[in-house]
Amino acid sequence: MNKKKIYSLWFLVPAVVIFVVFFIIPMVTSLFFSLTVWDLKSFTFCGLDNYKTFFSERSLSISVRNTLIYAVLTSGLKVIIAFFIALFLTSKIKTKDFLRSLVFFPNLVSAVAVGIIFKALMHPSKGLFNTVLAAIGISGPNWLGDTNLALFSVVAVDVWKGVSISTVIFIAGITSIDSSYYEAASIDGATRWQTIRNIVMPLVRSSTNTIITLSLIGGLRCFDLIWAMTKGGPGFATDVLASVVYKQYAAGFFGLSTAGNVIMFAVIAIIAFPLQKFLNSREVYN
Amino acid sequence: MDNPCIFCVQIVKIASSNNGERQIKGGRNMKRKMLSVLLCAAMMGTTLAGATSVLAADDKDSDSKWEYKEATLTFLIDPDTASSGYQAVFDLCEKETGIHIETELRASGGDGDNQVKTRLASGEMTDLCGYNSGAKLNELDPEDNFIDISGEEWASRLDDTFASAVSAGSDTAVYGVPLTATNLGCILYNKDLYEKYDLQVPDTWEDFLKNCDTLKEAGETAVIGSLGDSWTIQVPYLGDHYNVLAAEPDFSEKFEAGEAKYATTEAGLKSFQKLADLQPYFNDDYTATTYADACDKIVNGEGAHWFILSQALSSIYELYGDDVNKIGVMGIPGDDADNHGLTVWEPTAIYGNANSDKKDDILRFMEFYTSDEALDAFTEAQKPDGPYCIKGYELPDDAYDGVKEAQEKYFDTGKTNVAMEFQTSVKGTNCEYICSEVATGQSTAEEAAAAYDEDCKKQATQLGLDWK
Repeated sequence: MNKKKIYSLWFLVPAVVIFVVFFIIPMVTSLFFSLTVWDLKSFTFCGLDNYKTFFSERSLSISVRNTLIYAVLTSGLKVIIAFFIALFLTSKIKTKDFLRSLVFFPNLVSAVAVGIIFKALMHPSKGLFNTVLAAIGISGPNWLGDTNLALFSVVAVDVWKGVSISTVIFIAGITSIDSSYYEAASIDGATRWQTIRNIVMPLVRSSTNTIITLSLIGGLRCFDLIWAMTKGGPGFATDVLASVVYKQYAAGFFGLSTAGNVIMFAVIAIIAFPLQKFLNSREVYN
Repeated sequence: MDNPCIFCVQIVKIASSNNGERQIKGGRNMKRKMLSVLLCAAMMGTTLAGATSVLAADDKDSDSKWEYKEATLTFLIDPDTASSGYQAVFDLCEKETGIHIETELRASGGDGDNQVKTRLASGEMTDLCGYNSGAKLNELDPEDNFIDISGEEWASRLDDTFASAVSAGSDTAVYGVPLTATNLGCILYNKDLYEKYDLQVPDTWEDFLKNCDTLKEAGETAVIGSLGDSWTIQVPYLGDHYNVLAAEPDFSEKFEAGEAKYATTEAGLKSFQKLADLQPYFNDDYTATTYADACDKIVNGEGAHWFILSQALSSIYELYGDDVNKIGVMGIPGDDADNHGLTVWEPTAIYGNANSDKKDDILRFMEFYTSDEALDAFTEAQKPDGPYCIKGYELPDDAYDGVKEAQEKYFDTGKTNVAMEFQTSVKGTNCEYICSEVATGQSTAEEAAAAYDEDCKKQATQLGLDWK
């Protein structure tokens, strides 16, 4: 028995080596360097100063708040909107396949390209959105320049782009529901809305959980869309953890930016693991 | 025209006729032989032609004072610096010294800084790098990355203020040559609008705001904001340094030592307050207006004032020619009408990559770039935005009206001072973002001053200075 176990364990070695070299070692070294002032050639140990700076300096603590708002909003909106689109696309309509591919297309375009295009569309005087609104007689707001609105504009673009994958996952979940449930419901005289609420929603819970987890983690890490649209501006209104880490790196404060990365990892871990546990516990098995 | 065709046809005929008489293999051989002979002839012909041109070129330097040796150097620069001036010098350089410069454009502002630092760290920097002089040079680690030219004899032509701006705090080293003339941190104003509303050039900040009120009431845009390129919004704050020094002459030394702070120095706080004062006068789309858009606006009279570096005059000249003389230059006024001065920026410098394998060519190029010949070529193509940094070289007679105005009002009367970043090595990296916040009304001047102090403290710590 023992020989067999050890023999089969050897097959794991290549994968473990790669995992350790590319994931564990960098994680440990970044934990170390986050406690130093580092310029890639030499470092001086400074303890938790980098972390203190991160939470005390306004520009940096704003980013933590923005990241949480961004992640929660995109995740929530994606789940809700994707669910209803998926319901629509699994009902009896003729152009189902065409519509499904249409809905999926935003996901195929690169985030930077989407960001640049929407930035042009949202230009306060020359952009398409505001010129169309002006034609109707409404003076459109400054989508990306108004500090209260900028973050929400970027959230909207992210949802537009990301709702496609969520829709596909939901479609898969909905189509896998056994039709006997629907038959039973229609025999009992349930309305459409009651069917949705009591049959479809609980039975797609695993899809919902997947989408919540994926989009939340993606939202916490988002960088490319925000950078392409506003570079964290105006001022610090749309700065998120990832863009702040990038700015610190660009300024040459490598120890500080590594500390930011560690904080990002900690935030994601603190949110994602308990969330997974909670969601999994509520899953209903077919 | 017919002869070559007939000649070719005959060759083909000969080649194909031989096919009939001999075996197919032999026929092919004959064709191949003809082709190879033709190709050999062609090769020799082009080699000879090339050789003669090189030889002919080598003969050229007999009467020029420059050593002629062909080489190619790569040069990295941002697009917001007008190019006609330096391009003219590059063209002349290629003619006189044989050095061909290939220009590569990078982003401007904070993004461009990232690109430069990343390329230096990864060893992929071009032979020549165009970057700010002054405090920002320290961020690039010049002792390791750039060539020290202080030992060259032509380096003594650089004026002392510039030399200290490219020495990165060292007493002896000099790392760069000036790319352009000096840059002035000023307010560009549209003279037509001033005439239309009968306005005078203000000598105090109060008077300036009164002018803005008059313009705003008449429905004009008083101040053009170009936050689309966020580096430009630092100018009102940084350009006010003359007034800070007028109130506290040793502010910069105290700041570097960590004793003076912006939040607690009245004059320093005023600089941020000026940004806040401008908020009601900006154009509606100021958060998306780019540097290029703003150039259009100021020339076309769509806005009366623009706080910017005088390099914009060259950008405008490139597009609009002599219309640039519709624009006047004034320093950012303070509180004392008799002491209305101007903050001066030392120009972007060209630094030589210490890890390049073409050091000799780089030094030859730099020697050429600082010569009077090169400056003449530069001035012909692009008039200077301020006085030059080469000792003994004067402003030409046909300089921009705005620059001549600045020369008369500020340089000749001694009312100029270099910007803060040339007096101390500490310049917070978040300066443009903090200034954006004040300009957009997100934060007050006091908050911004405190935030900037924190930002500078962070940088001072990373530079190894001991601040509290």
